[in-house]
Amino acid sequence: MLKNRVKELRARYGFTQSDLGKQVDVTRQTIAFIEKGEFSPSITLSLKLAKALQTNVNELFWLEEDSNEK
Amino acid sequence: MKNDFRMQYPLWMMGFIVVLGMFAYGVSSPATEIVNTETVQSISIELGPIAGFFAVGAAALYILLLAGFIFQLTRHNRKNPTQKVSAFSIRPPEYLEQDEGMTYITRKASQKVYTFMSWSLPMLAVFAIFSPLPNLFTVWGILLIALIQYLIYYLEIRKHFKEETE
Repeated sequence: MLKNRVKELRARYGFTQSDLGKQVDVTRQTIAFIEKGEFSPSITLSLKLAKALQTNVNELFWLEEDSNEK
Repeated sequence: MKNDFRMQYPLWMMGFIVVLGMFAYGVSSPATEIVNTETVQSISIELGPIAGFFAVGAAALYILLLAGFIFQLTRHNRKNPTQKVSAFSIRPPEYLEQDEGMTYITRKASQKVYTFMSWSLPMLAVFAIFSPLPNLFTVWGILLIALIQYLIYYLEIRKHFKEETE
């Protein structure tokens, strides 16, 4: 499952979902869907989000490891 | 977003469908008399009191609903010049496709509707073929399927917006 730190980093920089949405050219709702893990963004949007939140994609998104794989 | 006309569009369509169902009842059982002689040619259609009430009431309700619909549509188009909705568009106006997140939830809702349609329409066809009931029931069946498909779509979209947080 894809996990992310969008909400955490957005809060760190004091952005609202609307602010971040405007920066990456998507609606506030899409930011909310991503934060909830309901929707996996495209590579393009992931890169835009990483840039807006001053991080890289690997720091922003990761796959949750399956407990059986550990 | 919750007040977006495109999101409310299925509700309007459901309203129109209910009115159409009432109208179908009203006009489906008139007493018709056709006179065709050498001197007189006439067709008289007489609605019973209840059927007449439904036919006339549904027509009046339809006009009211249409006025409300046009008002909301015009208001939406004035407020959203870049996302105008056309009532005559072949593409359903309720599709939300401003970005990939919206496209995703639209796809999920559409998939649910498609799943419903894939079994409900054949079932209705079987019903229509074998049912001894009047044609009105088939019309109501079609309208019911149309109503449910809008309901499924609306509830699925609403579910996503209900859960969202700022």
